[in-house]
Amino acid sequence: MAQLLSEIEWGAPLVPPVVLPEWETEAKQRYGGSSDYTRRVAPIPWLRQTCAAWMLCPLTALPVRLADLSFLVVSQENSCRYCYGAARAHMRILGYPERVIGQIEREMQLAELDETEQAFIRFCRSLARSNPRPARAQREELMRLGLTEQQIKEAAFLIANNCFHNRVASMLACPPVVVYERLGRSILGRLLRPILATANRKSIPVPSDFVAPEGARFARITGALSGLPAAYLLDRALNGAFDSPVLSRRLKALMFAVVARMLECSFCEPESRKLLQSEGFDEAETSACLASLSSPKLDAKESAILAWTRETVRYQPAELQKRTRALCDAVGTEATLEAVGVAALANSTVRVAMLLA
Amino acid sequence: MTPSALLWLLTLAAGIGLLALALRQRAQIRQIERLLQDTYGKLERLQLHFSRFAPNDVVERLADSPDDLMASRRMVTVLFADLKGFTAMCERLDPELMLQILNGYFREMSRAVTAHHGRVTELTGDGLLALFGALEPNPWQAQDAVLGALAMREALAAYNRTLRARGLPELDIGVGIHRGELLAGVMGNEELSKFGVVGDTINVAARVERLTRDLAVDLLITEEVRGELDARFRLRGMPALPVKGKAEPLRTYFVESAQVAAQPA
Repeated sequence: MAQLLSEIEWGAPLVPPVVLPEWETEAKQRYGGSSDYTRRVAPIPWLRQTCAAWMLCPLTALPVRLADLSFLVVSQENSCRYCYGAARAHMRILGYPERVIGQIEREMQLAELDETEQAFIRFCRSLARSNPRPARAQREELMRLGLTEQQIKEAAFLIANNCFHNRVASMLACPPVVVYERLGRSILGRLLRPILATANRKSIPVPSDFVAPEGARFARITGALSGLPAAYLLDRALNGAFDSPVLSRRLKALMFAVVARMLECSFCEPESRKLLQSEGFDEAETSACLASLSSPKLDAKESAILAWTRETVRYQPAELQKRTRALCDAVGTEATLEAVGVAALANSTVRVAMLLA
Repeated sequence: MTPSALLWLLTLAAGIGLLALALRQRAQIRQIERLLQDTYGKLERLQLHFSRFAPNDVVERLADSPDDLMASRRMVTVLFADLKGFTAMCERLDPELMLQILNGYFREMSRAVTAHHGRVTELTGDGLLALFGALEPNPWQAQDAVLGALAMREALAAYNRTLRARGLPELDIGVGIHRGELLAGVMGNEELSKFGVVGDTINVAARVERLTRDLAVDLLITEEVRGELDARFRLRGMPALPVKGKAEPLRTYFVESAQVAAQPA
């Protein structure tokens, strides 16, 4: 639901930032340093790596201006106070006037945007909202306006990427980076614009020729991103999430299935069912579990996480934060952090799967 | 005056003229922008007020794309709640006090419904109509509706304690839940329209609610809802009773409790 920055209700942070020496070293070497955001998820290795790497995902097809618009619009659509504030500051630092940012936020037809940009913004909002996910016609409209198939694929991942960070930051109620937000409005920010803009556009080297091996998890979906660095990043995040020992693999597959069912994704639910079969859940057990959001095979903590997963699909941040806090009280911090990451990843994967429809 | 001086003068006059024109245009653009901001502010306020009369999602989607809410068939679970003995209570109590009690009751019930993914779409007299799965797909709508009704039962018990403490009469409700396909969307004409639902499912839910009086229970569901629930729900089969508009007597189930982890409301 699109709201303005000042209208977003935001709770106190769920977890404190944690300084782990091994992560600080790795972050410095691979991502240029850690941040308050990645420190909050630092106890879960795959999640901290995904958060850091996805933020620095290189663009190979999409124009940077569209990527900037996507960051702002998706963060606003998901009412993420943390990301939305950062996106606004990012736009200001890149030189977008406050007036233009306001027009984009308020969807004014008079915004100084061309037809392609306006259609792109509609696509971003529609995919972020996913109620329902954008139809093929919306992609075809973008192609008619001049975007290539690769650019649309990259846009879909970029939106899914933003949705991932929006969910992680919202569920953990990450405190807005006020200093950065102020910098966007200050004279110092204007003076440092060239340096900050370069820093903001930094990316990490990621192979763009990655092909998921036969039998890889959600291979059809990562395959939809072939030829883009996104394919590698999504595959790596999926493997990291499913191989992590904090939550059981069957619970994670069920969480993916719940999100897929809620967003009526006919690609992700069968993929999740395939994973569940290898975890000892037969078709009937999976169906019964998905129909009731419970299973005798799950323990109390797993049941609580599975029931909570549906709340991460369509939400108001304050309500989601309240429910995530209750989950954390019930299952503990480590399990909650991994659940937050898996739920965010599932929501992103289902959005990318839109490309297959 | 020399020709060059005249040229300078003309150039200066033209420059001043252009500057004046540019400043005037800038002022006009600013005025239009202010006007747009004011209009947007008014629209936002209107949307805020309108949200009190129709579900927030409906208002937003109407603003974004009115075609989204064209009436369409969908599977919905309908919860119908009514106060028992309301008419008699109205005769005894001052209307202002009655309204106060009723508003408190609706507030508590709406919270319970919303916490379980339902939408209260109508308040008629002492009746409340809530829909599950009408605005967005909800694969767990039947379970949500029953959990919502159980939360209403708890919320009413708490509300009754506050009424009792104030020396006011306690409230007693009947809730009927049924599931089926119906037409949902914005309906009406150019002069008056609303988000609503049409179909026999609504009538059946209302009739089931009436049965709570005959069967002296507070929460009844139909076979269609029972089929969507698992063993965690403790149900008791009730004798089939004839209801208006149905050839066959209607079989219902009393919901005693549910062993489901509570969601924070």
